[in-house]
Amino acid sequence: MNIRTLKTAIFIIITVLIFIVILFPPFILFFTSIKTESEALSFPPVWIFIPTLENYREAIQKTPIENYLLNSLIIASSNTGIVLFLGSLAGYALARFKFKGAENISFWILSIRMMPPVAAIIPLYIIMKNLRLLDNPLSLIITYLTFNLPFAVWMMKGFFQEVPKEIEESALVDGCSTFGTFWKIAMPLVAPGLVATGILTFIFSWNEFLFALILTGSKAVTLPVGITSYIKETGIGWGYMTAGGVLALIPVMVFTILAQKHLVKGLTMGALK
Amino acid sequence: MTKNKNRKIIVFLSVIRRRYTWLFFLAPVIIILISIVIFPLIFSLSLSFHEWNVIRGKEWTWIGLENYKTIFLYDPYFRSTLKVTFLYLLGTVPLQFALGLAVALILNRITTKIIGFLRTTLIVPTTMTPVVVGIIWRLMYNPDLGMLNYFLTLFGFPPINWVGKPETALPSVMMADIWEWTPFMALILLAGLQALPQDSFEAAIVDGASSWQIFRYITLPLLTPIMMVALLIRIMDSFKTFDLIFVLTQGGPGMSTEVLNYYTYRYGFKFFHMGYASALSWLVLVIVTVISISLIRVLQTKNIAKG
Repeated sequence: MNIRTLKTAIFIIITVLIFIVILFPPFILFFTSIKTESEALSFPPVWIFIPTLENYREAIQKTPIENYLLNSLIIASSNTGIVLFLGSLAGYALARFKFKGAENISFWILSIRMMPPVAAIIPLYIIMKNLRLLDNPLSLIITYLTFNLPFAVWMMKGFFQEVPKEIEESALVDGCSTFGTFWKIAMPLVAPGLVATGILTFIFSWNEFLFALILTGSKAVTLPVGITSYIKETGIGWGYMTAGGVLALIPVMVFTILAQKHLVKGLTMGALK
Repeated sequence: MTKNKNRKIIVFLSVIRRRYTWLFFLAPVIIILISIVIFPLIFSLSLSFHEWNVIRGKEWTWIGLENYKTIFLYDPYFRSTLKVTFLYLLGTVPLQFALGLAVALILNRITTKIIGFLRTTLIVPTTMTPVVVGIIWRLMYNPDLGMLNYFLTLFGFPPINWVGKPETALPSVMMADIWEWTPFMALILLAGLQALPQDSFEAAIVDGASSWQIFRYITLPLLTPIMMVALLIRIMDSFKTFDLIFVLTQGGPGMSTEVLNYYTYRYGFKFFHMGYASALSWLVLVIVTVISISLIRVLQTKNIAKG
């Protein structure tokens, strides 16, 4: 064997190892969720078993997991809808209009996105309590704007800057109103960017934990908070918890694959394409 | 006369409209952000000068800088959480960066179609629900039936009580964090590597540079801006770590994994000392802001900031 093939072999082995390390933990979650309780609790672990959906059925029957799912879905999609509309408006303004302080406003919006959530949660909790919105999905739809709105503004600003503005200018000359130009001409042009931004804001809302933990109690509990409620002093319901974990991951993984082209851009706030 | 006046008003209004349209587009976002971010932050700053225990007293009591004085002078736990916070930062981000760079350099050499699949795999831990990441690792760390102890005993090592002992708890949480975020680093750096101009590499190869020389004198300098962005994002996120710690250790055993973020949460929502927790939360805010602004300054002075 010459050195070159040896090098290639080592290279392939390392690559394969990297991906085993990345993918092994999620697979353990999935396998545990389709094992029976005794199989899941056996040591050494059972590798060959008959898959069962028992844990999923039990989670639905014995815990309000369908409510958690529904809450997560309602909160994430409402928040995404609001964020996309308002974020596009503001992003359009920052990308297209020339005015004093545009740079500063952009930077201010970006810096809000960087804020640690723990800094805002104490006053937001007190405010929501006084508005009697605790344990109400509305409180999360509103508070998730704190991080998703700056994100969407920043992303949409970037997408608008990428499309040529000549078409919009000719529409304006033809007597189309500014809002009409924005809505009928600019928005369709940035549709792919809009979808990518929407998917990411949905994922951020879906994954959020701290705000949901503090602002909900029973009725409005979201999936991440719901799953952690299976950790009890008396022990952990591994069956429920792994089933719930897999359910939480399904939409995220589907969306991740759909939007992967724009994910790097989104995850670096547009610093990278 | 009135007609003329009307026309003047119309002209005036249209000028206003054209000049300030941006304001109508931007106003909703600015008003919302002021009311759900700026106003709450001012509210909590004011609260941090008061004593207010939601359970015991109903009234706010003005105590001036007392909360901050207690934090800096008399609270031994604050110092311990500060130490854990920075240990956590130093134990995760540099390793994620080094490993991520190595992975990116390896993947950058793959030219076959499989790279698409590999890149998607890198995104998986990044967009995964952090609570679920915590659950997965709690499952793997389980001392009696976890995978990690199974592998340890398989190779003849004694099992470890991963998150159950103060000495191993923090490194265990860090390991989960490194698993979660190294692929993210690799993803960004890989995107950076693939966007580098090819001609300088070709010139270097023609000149007979070794692969180490190419890496040291061409790849690294060209990649610096992207490396800075990746580091900046991760350093700021590191201070926000909450979900992993909540699921894996709840800050324990003892205070061994209690970061500043988690300590603030406990003061506010377990002990209900809202004034004290507000003071702590403002310190978190100040620390994160100071660090990010200085990092952004470094980026800008090197004239490599974008957007």
